[in-house]
Amino acid sequence: MSLTDLMTMAKSDKKLQRKILGQLWMVHPDECYQCMRCTSGCTSLKLLELKPHEITLLVNSGFIEELVSSDIIWTCASCLKCKERCPQKASPYNTIMALRNLAVEREAQIPEAYMRAISQILETGLMQQVQTVASKDNQPLNRETLGLPEMRGPDDKFQAVFIEVLGG
Amino acid sequence: MKVAVYWGCKIPTAQYAYEMSLRQVLPHLDIELIDLKNTSCCGGPVRSVNTTAALFLSARNLALSNQTGTEDLLVPCNECHFMLSEAKHRIDNDAVMREKMQELLSKEDLAFSPRVRIWHVIDLLHDMVKVDSIKAKVKKPLSGLKFAVHPGCQIIRPSEIKRVDHSEKPRKLDILVEALGAETLDYPEKLDCCGAALLYSHEDAALSLTGSKLKALQDYDVDGFVDSCPYCHTLYDARQKDSAAMIGGNISLSVFYYTQLLGLALKLGREELGLHLNQSFNPEKFKF
Repeated sequence: MSLTDLMTMAKSDKKLQRKILGQLWMVHPDECYQCMRCTSGCTSLKLLELKPHEITLLVNSGFIEELVSSDIIWTCASCLKCKERCPQKASPYNTIMALRNLAVEREAQIPEAYMRAISQILETGLMQQVQTVASKDNQPLNRETLGLPEMRGPDDKFQAVFIEVLGG
Repeated sequence: MKVAVYWGCKIPTAQYAYEMSLRQVLPHLDIELIDLKNTSCCGGPVRSVNTTAALFLSARNLALSNQTGTEDLLVPCNECHFMLSEAKHRIDNDAVMREKMQELLSKEDLAFSPRVRIWHVIDLLHDMVKVDSIKAKVKKPLSGLKFAVHPGCQIIRPSEIKRVDHSEKPRKLDILVEALGAETLDYPEKLDCCGAALLYSHEDAALSLTGSKLKALQDYDVDGFVDSCPYCHTLYDARQKDSAAMIGGNISLSVFYYTQLLGLALKLGREELGLHLNQSFNPEKFKF
């Protein structure tokens, strides 16, 4: 059974489709002719069953809601092979990122680690805190004991501007 | 030659061996690093949440580079390198987005100028320092050793923006390793991704991808594995045992940052290069 058969119960949503397409710059999913070069080289095909050509087909068919609420858009490894190898300008990678953005906007279930990284950036400017690491023989070491200069995040003004741009 | 450096998040918060080895080796090759101040994340993990916010983060780090007085910017992390390169491409070519970014940047009294050249360690050494100058500085050749190199994904793709090496046949990292007197291996899994971006959502899959690549390499009988990205290195080095457990095999392969090997060939000390931080390093296998 093809994907379009599976979607026969769903309704195509042109408004959401326009929203996704509007987020893309120099990327044209509608040029896709389903050659599957993206899927044949996809890092996440074997383990997570990501098929970028199907994502593109579903976007072109207007089944955006179904994609946004599906875990499949979170299986992309961002290796960029699909973007590189696409003979058109369809770049499934960019489409997947646009779908993820829409999932966040619609408060769908998204992997927690992304929100943790955002909170950390809001707090310190960086996606994770400065860590103490262990040497191979288990000695705890940090920037100071390793002779590295002190690490400082962004100035105070940064946080307000970042909140503003995140808000839209 | 003065080169500004943007360290990103992963290197200065955890992958200290990369920073240590870079700070050690570059002065020997007449490169003086200028650390950017006031930097933030490049926007890598933010992109999945809000692409414009991610673009803003990259744009502000580029604007900070503009303040240093040098037009050359070293970005040693593959993900940061992609984010900053893509942001520059977008701002250079999309007037609407350029205006939006300049307006946001002005709130922190910053401004973006296109006069910035973005380098990664691999092309900085291969194309700016040049291979012959590296060869001339080698004091202790790594002869008799064979390495498999891993350039990673995001510095070689997409080729529509300026990237570090050929998207399907990258050779620069091999050439840099060969310049130190070692051999390299051409292997079918060379372009396989480490899977690091999946650590956010599917950790098991990331570990499987890492384990499968290392397992294949172990069967080819190489002495070590060379990378040049803090994300790839975290998986291949620190998470090597976890990746072996995930695929149900035994893996023991010494993993190095290229800059660590370069430092060893320049006769710098192991600890100065952070080699004691490499969890996978097996000293019995190496004479250096």
